[in-house]
Amino acid sequence: MAKTVAIVEDDPAIRANYTDLLKKHGYQVSAFADRGSALAAFRSRLPDLALLDIGLAGEPDGGFALCRELRALSAALPIIFLTARDSDFDVISGLRMGADDYLTKDAGIPHLLARISALFRRADLLREPPLEEEILERGELRLDMKRFVATWKAKPVDLTLTEFWLVHCVARFPGHVKNREQLMKEAHIVVDDSTITSHVKRIRRKFQAVDPAFDAIDTVYGLGYRWNT
Amino acid sequence: MRFGLRAKVALVALVLAPIPWLGYRYVKDMEAVLREGQEQALVATARAVATTLHDRPELLDLRPGVAANGEMERILRSLGRADLRIWIVDRQGRLLAITGDLRKKVPDEPPPADALEVLARSLRPVTQLLLERPTEDFDDALPESQISGAGEVSAALQGMAGRRWRNSTDSRAVILSAAHPIWSGDDVLGAVVVEETTNAIRSLSDRTLEKVVAVTLVVFAISALVLLAFASRLSLRLRRLRDEAEQAIDSQGRVKKLIAGSSSGDELGDLSRSFSTALERLAQYNAYLEKLGGRLSHELRTPVTVVRSSLENLKMTALPEEARVYTERAAEGLARLDAILTRMSEATRLETAVREAERERFDAGEVLRGCVAGYASVFPRIRFALSLPDHPVMLRGAPDLYAQMLDKLAANAADFSVADEAVRVRLDEKGALTVSNSGPLLPAEMAGRLFESMVSLRPDHLDGKEPHLGNKEPHLGLGLYMVRLIAQFHGGEARAANREDGSGVVMRVDCPVSS
Repeated sequence: MAKTVAIVEDDPAIRANYTDLLKKHGYQVSAFADRGSALAAFRSRLPDLALLDIGLAGEPDGGFALCRELRALSAALPIIFLTARDSDFDVISGLRMGADDYLTKDAGIPHLLARISALFRRADLLREPPLEEEILERGELRLDMKRFVATWKAKPVDLTLTEFWLVHCVARFPGHVKNREQLMKEAHIVVDDSTITSHVKRIRRKFQAVDPAFDAIDTVYGLGYRWNT
Repeated sequence: MRFGLRAKVALVALVLAPIPWLGYRYVKDMEAVLREGQEQALVATARAVATTLHDRPELLDLRPGVAANGEMERILRSLGRADLRIWIVDRQGRLLAITGDLRKKVPDEPPPADALEVLARSLRPVTQLLLERPTEDFDDALPESQISGAGEVSAALQGMAGRRWRNSTDSRAVILSAAHPIWSGDDVLGAVVVEETTNAIRSLSDRTLEKVVAVTLVVFAISALVLLAFASRLSLRLRRLRDEAEQAIDSQGRVKKLIAGSSSGDELGDLSRSFSTALERLAQYNAYLEKLGGRLSHELRTPVTVVRSSLENLKMTALPEEARVYTERAAEGLARLDAILTRMSEATRLETAVREAERERFDAGEVLRGCVAGYASVFPRIRFALSLPDHPVMLRGAPDLYAQMLDKLAANAADFSVADEAVRVRLDEKGALTVSNSGPLLPAEMAGRLFESMVSLRPDHLDGKEPHLGNKEPHLGLGLYMVRLIAQFHGGEARAANREDGSGVVMRVDCPVSS
């Protein structure tokens, strides 16, 4: 059975376009223009994944509220923010509401599809016991490539999908400097230098929350980042 | 020649100059009237004496040269006044009698009556230079020529009253004399001559002139002080306004702080208030311009998303080959639009980053080494020559922002570099970073504005001399603006100048070293 993706987006053209795109990629799509109708529909039946815009008609932060309500309905439901807002403040707020990832609208459909399928894979795997495991271990770091779960010193680090991919990109070849283009490619994002910098800062902070002595990600100024073992 | 406000106001005070002249004219007129009165009085006295003697002709029957006897003396005394000299000559020009003294007996001045007189007297050493004071020390001798040959005496002996002004023999006083014939029937028996000096009138007019001088000086002093105070206050306020206006806008054209509009109600207050309003609007406009990029890119994101998702939908439908060409072109244009939007929001994001960044101590040399090593792949056609001091240069700030600043400087230098010469990146021990490239020079008028938002020197049409400008990156004039933001975050300053030998341009960022 096809997976259901819910889109909450107030711009009709974007909503229709994304609906068509996702349908063409084999998903079942339910689209909503505002928070009220979306929430009413979610209460009767949860989708398999939700794409939320932050600014909804009449509510500049309606997406944040909807995300919180949706998270209350289901802890496991994958939620992705898809928005025009790209300030650090919005990213942090969105992720704090319990979203799994945050994507700006200029990312393009391939990046969105990569996230949707990855999150679906993870959801499926969480439901059934793992038949095979794909684990990347670098010192204290352990990355579960199927479930997108990162652990540091056996403690889970709560990374978003984008952050997980970034960590994977840097940690796969320790000692090698990964530049911006490589990081963007592997993390399925299109951003500028300063966004990469803030992503890395957030990742470091999440690891430091688990282990204050964490310093495995080195900045090589002008070049990129390096996993330090 | 430049006149200050105060000098001009002082010139205005010259309007007061006619006051002493008018006073002088007035005193002279008064003096003329008094002299006229004195003449009349003297003539009247002479006539009175002559009339009395006409009634007592026996008194005239005297031997000439002998002093008047008691009776004559009494008559002359009773008709004369102090300071008068009366004498009588007979027809032969012989002096019959003389009485009185031309010299004043009581020369003492009355004590000063008011402050003005006190001032006038204290100014006497000065006024004496201008006014010749009458003196009682003159030769009052009665010369023979006066007795017999003087005009008024001979006129009186001819039967006509006469009067005359003459100088004393030593010319130190002016003497007025009036002569009147003594009639006996139709015959003239002799002549009465009454004499008086003009000293009384002159000293009166001198005292009045002294007062005029004193009043003038007082008025001058007071008005000069008032005008000076007024002018000083005006020029002080104007200077303060000028200083404030100069400090309000820095060399890069940004409004640093607003003028506190003065609350005074005059034109200067108006000027300061309108300055304040104008600066406020300028600041708002600057802020609007600096925010414009970010806001515009945010607003444009939604329609761009509509176009992108539409194109992506199109790509998934079966299209004729012809249509594919156009969708590809549309996608290409969209990519460029995206790059522009990213650039525009980059500056705004950097402003936020600069506001929120935490400062740490870092080695600028290490950052530069990494960055310059990375430029080999970013700018494959440009060589970079890095020169660093032997030991670390510790700055206080954010290394990633510092690296971003160097990126912008390097991109700028690479774009403008023309010769095969390497772009020179140099850091000295004092934290001064210079990035120097050969190539077109900066126009003089742009030197200060280069680091403003949305200011770009890039030509619209690229010619063959600038081969590296051909890249696809859009330019909005935000790169050097970001350099300035980051330099300021590090407590430094960004400047642009031409190389001394005129072969290129040097961008210089001075950041204070953290000790």
